[in-house]
Amino acid sequence: MSTVDTTSGKRSALAPFAKPLAAVGGVLAIVAALLPWVTFTLNDGNWPDKSTLQFFDAPFAVTGFRWHLLLLGVLILVAAFAPIPSRGRVVRALGWGVAVVSFINGAYITAKGGGLGAITALDGATAFGSVAGLVAGVLTILAGYGYGITPVGEWKFKPPTPVAYLVLLVSFAGVLLAVAAMLTTGGVGTSNPYAGAIFLSFLGFAGGVLGALSGVGFIRWLSVLSEEHRVFSVIVLAACALLLPFTDAGNEYWMTVAANIGIYAATAIGLNIVVGLAGLLDLGYVAFMGIGALVAANFSGAAAANFGIELPFPVAAVIAAVVAGIFGAIVGSPTLRVRGDYLAIVTLAFGEIFTRSAQNDIGGMTNGSNAIPGIPALSLFGKEFNRELSIGAVKLPAGVLYYILIVLLVAATMAVFANLKFSRIGRAWIAIREDEDAARAMGIRTGQAKILAFLIGATLAGLAGAVFAHKNATVSYESFKFLESITLLAAVILGGMGSIPGAVLGASLLFVLPEKLRDFEEFRLMIFGLALILIMRFRPQGLIPDRHRRAELADEDVGGAPVDEVHAASKEAKA
Amino acid sequence: MTTPVLEARDVSMVFGGLKALKGVTLTLEEGKIVGLIGPNGAGKTTFFNCLTGLYTPTTGQVLLKGNTLPGDPAKVTDAGVARTFQNIRLFPSMTVLENVLVGRHVRMKQGPLASLFHGPAYHRGEKAARERSRELLEFVGLRGPDDELSRNLPYGDQRRLEIARALATDPAVLLLDEPTAGMNPQETEATQQLIFRIRETGVSVVVIEHDIKFIFGLCDSVSVLVQGELLVEGSPEVVRADPRVVEAYLGKPPEEVELDIEAAKGEQA
Repeated sequence: MSTVDTTSGKRSALAPFAKPLAAVGGVLAIVAALLPWVTFTLNDGNWPDKSTLQFFDAPFAVTGFRWHLLLLGVLILVAAFAPIPSRGRVVRALGWGVAVVSFINGAYITAKGGGLGAITALDGATAFGSVAGLVAGVLTILAGYGYGITPVGEWKFKPPTPVAYLVLLVSFAGVLLAVAAMLTTGGVGTSNPYAGAIFLSFLGFAGGVLGALSGVGFIRWLSVLSEEHRVFSVIVLAACALLLPFTDAGNEYWMTVAANIGIYAATAIGLNIVVGLAGLLDLGYVAFMGIGALVAANFSGAAAANFGIELPFPVAAVIAAVVAGIFGAIVGSPTLRVRGDYLAIVTLAFGEIFTRSAQNDIGGMTNGSNAIPGIPALSLFGKEFNRELSIGAVKLPAGVLYYILIVLLVAATMAVFANLKFSRIGRAWIAIREDEDAARAMGIRTGQAKILAFLIGATLAGLAGAVFAHKNATVSYESFKFLESITLLAAVILGGMGSIPGAVLGASLLFVLPEKLRDFEEFRLMIFGLALILIMRFRPQGLIPDRHRRAELADEDVGGAPVDEVHAASKEAKA
Repeated sequence: MTTPVLEARDVSMVFGGLKALKGVTLTLEEGKIVGLIGPNGAGKTTFFNCLTGLYTPTTGQVLLKGNTLPGDPAKVTDAGVARTFQNIRLFPSMTVLENVLVGRHVRMKQGPLASLFHGPAYHRGEKAARERSRELLEFVGLRGPDDELSRNLPYGDQRRLEIARALATDPAVLLLDEPTAGMNPQETEATQQLIFRIRETGVSVVVIEHDIKFIFGLCDSVSVLVQGELLVEGSPEVVRADPRVVEAYLGKPPEEVELDIEAAKGEQA
């Protein structure tokens, strides 16, 4: 039955070998997991997860990347023999996972261990784990092509409500654990000399599994299911986000990183209204966040604030949002006259005007390069947000209250985005994006609609900026430069234009990856840039595309194997 | 005499040195179908653009039920003139239903706040708009799944969807720019029936078309536009019998048509 489900028409020459290749690949991956990987102890200390020859002391204590390989190997065997839809995609994705995990660990060991001596039979010792893993990966990928890359499976199965709830609950809990694992693997910052490798290797594993789940049609089925039980899904997802502090990621460092990601995610969702829905390219968007932050800072009662009045945070935040919104409408007004590239230049100029004005302290509002430091932390019932929190016996890390506030902020911006998208005004924006003249011929006042898009987008950015001011305690023009606008735009495009989870994922990637890649020191930004280029090459529609955009840009061959290309990207970047 | 539902009075349009329209007059009585024919480049689409506010005529005016139409396509649509395009201009990445819902835009009362908070009024309005849109899809004969992206529809269905989208604006006048271009005889016949049914709902129609047989079978009155000027206007029988039209359409080479137009100009002068 190995080749029966090849419906793509042209049969691969590998088709007759698909099953044996997958079987050998799976077994070899398991063997690779159990083989030693390093012949001696590296200079920076033991390669993690018992990879040296000492492994034979305790062969059953398999953890870390070896455990991932073992799991992938078992999954490959299951995929090769169980009756599943679009087997080719599943096997190919798992194969990529094995290959990336093996390659990253092997290459790292070679590089850090000072040459091939680390993995070959010098000194009379052998450690062919990475080689075996790589071969297993390649064989499995070939098996995937042998099976044929058929369209992603579609599951018609509609479970009864309680079962659906259970599935959603388990899946979202899985997402939570995966996020926590992704944040914490390899340790915090640079505390572990092998942090970068561990993280990339984990990404390879996660990408392989996700690619397989997506290939078999589970992800699509899950998204249909969550759309059907929308309210339940939203509640569970929010609960999962609020539970992150209770996982391994519940320390001050990751709470801070997660809170920063949240602020940028909220801003990116605002930008997504302007760029993703209305199709107006805005290159100076971060200025609105800056305006919000400055307004909030000046009303915060900080010693360096320029207004003598201290307002409670909710009031200051609303004023910040309104002021940013007014500026949004002002910047948006040229959109009545200019389109496309010309609009991008107008917004770019506005962003530059903002930065330069803030740098030179125009109007005495920004303190120029001295910034506005010492903005007090938010507090509620006398509890300062940047302190640790203990409820009864449960101790939560410092910054957890900011994290919760920002999760709520992101949830609110998501709700705004989703509600607007499925409304009269949202349809008008999309129509303008698609064909402005036709939209006008349908009675849409395109000028008003475009200004409204700018206004709402800027309001959300201003709100995020107000939280940013208190969270970071300092507001300086340097936080709102052109590069930040571009990063936000990249987050939107990377995640998938017009898609909400896409904007959040994009913001997370753009802010977590640089943290995690610190290990690579001077190559960090180069690798980061290469990763972005490769993602855009293989997923032009973004990682989690909006339904509309997906249809527009999906390349049939690449469409079904989503996340593993990302890791292929990191892999190639490293090589 | 009743006020015509749409009236173009002496409309001229000049682009730089090019006189695209020279004093074209057209009258559309309520519940009628008027055809607009003419060789390529005669100014038919330019004339449509003047009727819909995309262009502001250099001289002359366009009246809807006796009121001057504003020079803005959005306001013209709001006032009750809807159109389709010569090259189909749907919103390709929106679904079939969403395309029609965009057409409902001007008739929906949902403001920004209702859009933002999705209260009961939003749900009522949205439900009504969806129902009306589905009715229109049914009316034009699109019975496939309405969550298909419009770009994936077959060509003839895209034309029909464009008509449904235009009808969703509840127009008094519907302007169709070559609705049967690229269609086979069966589809053309179906389109003709559809336009008759549209007229039955009280919508007056102006049709641009190259298919003479289609126009003569459809219209109550036909106007022939040549080189930006109105050559002939009248019932299909009159226009069919007019020697200049016969020459223009039934076999004479283009050079001779040009000569005839010159002659016609001479006669008018």
